Amino acid sequence: MLQYIAPATGLLFTLENILWINLGVFIGSVFAAIPGLSVILCVILFLPVTYSMTAIPGMMFLLGIYCAGGYGGSVSAILINTPGTPHAAATMLDGHPLSEKGRTKAALKIALYASTFGGIFSALMLLFLGPQVARVAAQLGTAEYFMVCVFGLTIIAGVSGKSMIKGLISACLGLLISCVGSDPMTSYDRFTFGVSRLYLGLDLAVCLIGLFALVEIMSKAEKRLDRLNLDTTQIKDDGVITKAEYKRMARSVLLSSIIGVMVGIIPGTGASEASWFSYNTAKNMSKHPEEFGHGSVEGIAAAESANNAVTGATLIPLLTLGIPGDGTVAIMLSALMINGLNPGLSLFTTQGDIMYAIMLGLILVNIFMLLQGKFLTSLFAKVVSIPQEILTPIIVIFCFAGAYSVNENYFDVGIALIFGMLAWILRKLELPPVPILLGLVLGSMTETNFRRALLISNGSPKIFFSSVYCIIFLVLILLAVGAIVRGKMKERNAQKEA
Amino acid sequence: MKRRILSIALLAAMCAALLAGCGQKSATWKVTCPWAPSGVAAMVSQQAATKSTSYSDSITLVAEAIKGDAATVNTWVADTKANDTELVFVGEGLLSITSILDPAKMQFGYEDFVFVENLYSSIFVLSADAKLNISSVADLEAYVQQGTEISVAVNGATGSEAFLAASLFGAMGAGDKLKLTPYQSAAEAAQAVARGETQFAVSHQSQILETYQQNGVTIVCAFDEGNIESGPFAGVEGVGQHGYPYFRNRCFIMARAGTDEKKVAELKELYGKILADAEVVDWLQNTMLLEVDTMSVADVEAHVENVKGIVNEYKDVVAG
Repeated sequence: MLQYIAPATGLLFTLENILWINLGVFIGSVFAAIPGLSVILCVILFLPVTYSMTAIPGMMFLLGIYCAGGYGGSVSAILINTPGTPHAAATMLDGHPLSEKGRTKAALKIALYASTFGGIFSALMLLFLGPQVARVAAQLGTAEYFMVCVFGLTIIAGVSGKSMIKGLISACLGLLISCVGSDPMTSYDRFTFGVSRLYLGLDLAVCLIGLFALVEIMSKAEKRLDRLNLDTTQIKDDGVITKAEYKRMARSVLLSSIIGVMVGIIPGTGASEASWFSYNTAKNMSKHPEEFGHGSVEGIAAAESANNAVTGATLIPLLTLGIPGDGTVAIMLSALMINGLNPGLSLFTTQGDIMYAIMLGLILVNIFMLLQGKFLTSLFAKVVSIPQEILTPIIVIFCFAGAYSVNENYFDVGIALIFGMLAWILRKLELPPVPILLGLVLGSMTETNFRRALLISNGSPKIFFSSVYCIIFLVLILLAVGAIVRGKMKERNAQKEA
Repeated sequence: MKRRILSIALLAAMCAALLAGCGQKSATWKVTCPWAPSGVAAMVSQQAATKSTSYSDSITLVAEAIKGDAATVNTWVADTKANDTELVFVGEGLLSITSILDPAKMQFGYEDFVFVENLYSSIFVLSADAKLNISSVADLEAYVQQGTEISVAVNGATGSEAFLAASLFGAMGAGDKLKLTPYQSAAEAAQAVARGETQFAVSHQSQILETYQQNGVTIVCAFDEGNIESGPFAGVEGVGQHGYPYFRNRCFIMARAGTDEKKVAELKELYGKILADAEVVDWLQNTMLLEVDTMSVADVEAHVENVKGIVNEYKDVVAG
């Protein structure tokens, strides 16, 4: 490894690379901050730009978009209670309440610092432990994936709000909606009602726009105009984060970065799962779990560090095994292949300098993300001072443009509207929307891995206890369920005492 | 004053741009790929689009990938008419597999298109768990004769890979012993065989290369007539020479039916030049492990019919 570091540094530190990194970081931040305009869409749009470049500047540009996209999604989650990207949904739970408390700048700063830490942590993991970690990840099979999904579903308890039953109803609705489309194991259509567009399933980004953005707008439409204007005193925010807050966040940021890396290296999972796992873990381990959902600094830090820790981790299976960790990275794979680089361990010896330049570049990307973010935070924070009667129509336009841009058709705009109406009805029934999102994120993965595992084992459930990894995940699931039961019992006792 | 100067400068720039455009008769053809933007077809299409301006003054290709398979092609067919400057990819998956298994998904037929060119062909390979020590068709036949269950990892439940596995093991008389295990991507299927979840996997050569290089799998055979001639899998036996069915993966570029023959010929000529470019040939062969494979309409129809024959014969094994 060391013999490649010096030539890699020489290849990386050029003016061209630094310019491309900064351009990528800026574009990624802005794109991800707009609901519906996802990071993957941004990478697809700008991929052709890289075809005329060599591998390193091309990858630096795309990595800039990818990493900044991880942070950018939090901006709209904090400012307008709508996650710019699906993986910023967990950030929204505490980011927006903190903003509503008049600490918009502080919330944005926490998101930025946590994202940077997560990003650099995963970049270092990629640099020093990439091949070793990838070999372990390659051992995880269908049964282990299923256990990860079940562990993920325990998060529902944490995001159900006051009523667990209502949370479970919402989650079941999400799981049901995730069944729409082609059956992953047989390709037969389910719940498509003859509509050919539905057999692909419902796009998460489109559902998100309806569930979180359009419903906010519908709710605003119900209110009187004079109640829409923000109290300008709310945005007099100096952005100060106290030492005590930094101390509280330190443990959750570190733990969430580790979770982010672990989730990221498992192909097929992604930043959404990582941020939810971390949010839930941070809540379970916090001394102040009651603050979660009401502007907890730990909540924002956990979700953001995890979703950015995924960025480096998804590159581990890509660069070492040639397996893209998520959809966005799969597109980056084509940027490498266009340059004649077929990722895999062999490339570390044949093109070691380029590989290490890319890995070192990821650290640089995160540093520039921090620098740009510090400047942009002040600009973004001003969004809340825009009068709602101006801001709301702009958000509506972005929502519809975002929904259209996912697959370039009006059908998705209709789907977003339907989800907006569904979310509005659910709000009236006091059913939380976040468990629906979890059901959508984890539903298909859980089902596919469950059925495939049973297919592999010829129907024997023993497959779910067949490896050390399965047992580890089983213990984690039991611990999570135990923590939920204990928490509920404590809550009940406290209510009785009150 | 400043505003006036700026306005005049802008006007002059607009006029210059308009005049510059007058002399050109360049047409931009949008090439829609209905599969993943990270997929092989989308990458090759992008590469062709990048090269188009080097070989033509009158045609510029713009590549676009909208994942959606039949749904994307349905929209394309509904939104285009003859002579529109729009092209679309279709392959045997739609024309030979979906058209038989699930025709309701397709609001189009072969007659809605006019063939322009085939960009590449890809030879699928069968890989086996290295522990089984199977590295030839003879080894495979001996293994099948043991009569044990055969599990094969494939990309998608009813894709080309599933039909190739079904046709090979079906022709060996083991169709009833075959268990196809679908994965969400070819890379996942390749990993599944390496960690022993399944005994075999069918995939493109490029998708199994890294696993093979790490000794996780052996390569048993290629789904082609003869042996693989070049690349890291050179010498791997083709199943065709043993009398087993096979087909290659091909991606046809189509224009809307009724498009002027002259325009189609111009496009075909341009693609021909791009595919003869030494850099493109080298990239296709050495990085993507694909072959340049220009075709005629008769070749396309023969390919579609060949795959249809395999699908009809083995659809019960695949779709149950």
